Amino acid sequence: MTIVCEIAAPFVANSAVEDTEVVWPLRSHTASCLKCQARQAAMAKTGRHLKAMATESNPAPRDLEWKVMSSLEGDLAVSRSWAKPVTLTAAAVSMVAAILIWRLRPRPGA
Amino acid sequence: MGNHFEPSPVEQAREQELIARAQGGDRAAFAALVREHSDMVYTLARRLVGDPHLAADVSQEALIRAWKALPGFRGDAQLSTWLHRITVNAAWTQKKKASRHQGASLDEVGELAMPIDADHPEVAGEILELRGKLRDALDSLPEAQRQIVVMKDIYGWSHAEISESVGISVTAAKVRLHRARARLARILEDEG
Repeated sequence: MTIVCEIAAPFVANSAVEDTEVVWPLRSHTASCLKCQARQAAMAKTGRHLKAMATESNPAPRDLEWKVMSSLEGDLAVSRSWAKPVTLTAAAVSMVAAILIWRLRPRPGA
Repeated sequence: MGNHFEPSPVEQAREQELIARAQGGDRAAFAALVREHSDMVYTLARRLVGDPHLAADVSQEALIRAWKALPGFRGDAQLSTWLHRITVNAAWTQKKKASRHQGASLDEVGELAMPIDADHPEVAGEILELRGKLRDALDSLPEAQRQIVVMKDIYGWSHAEISESVGISVTAAKVRLHRARARLARILEDEG
């Protein structure tokens, strides 16, 4: 192994996963270096395994659905508990404002 | 995103109906969608954050966000793709909180289920061993690097999709991926 192998290593790894050629300044080295070729082959295999992992599935915890749905119910309950007082308060404030405006309105001849 | 499975037309029609009902506020329809996609969301979350407990929190957060955002879902992408993005974003949010929850033991992570070729047990054994090493190597990558490898090399996201999702430039995403793969190769080589 030479220092060029170490410089080439990240480029070899990337080209192997992407199934592309190594960048040109390192191409002639990797073409003749058994160590780099072995690394390239190993990383190409890793790349294939990574792609295959997309088909793997792990069962979600059994209570996930329950937790999600009860959290949504909780949000709804909170929004419901807020909705009524807010509506009543807004109605009361509007009524008081209307009375005040009526009482304080300028009267002709007053 | 290259690696997603295409649902059959019947499944698609059923899913679209469920989406439309859920968009109208039907919780039972949303629960059915959660059942349908929770394994996928959880698997992605596990890969992104490693720790199974944290992954469960990420999944829960992602599905709650999905419910809230569902009225805005217009069906330009598949629901699974859309959920992937939400899960990645939820994982990033959890990551900030997880600094105090760091260092989940690899023993805790457990094994992911995978299809095994029953006719060729020796090959299946080799695959299991390789995948186990690969998962350990992925887990030992720094979180930002692991996420980018998961998105690109497992789920086939484009650099543009990654950059948008992670909030970095396309060039930065490419550089991070380059470094992550180099590091992954080194870890695997050291493990022999």
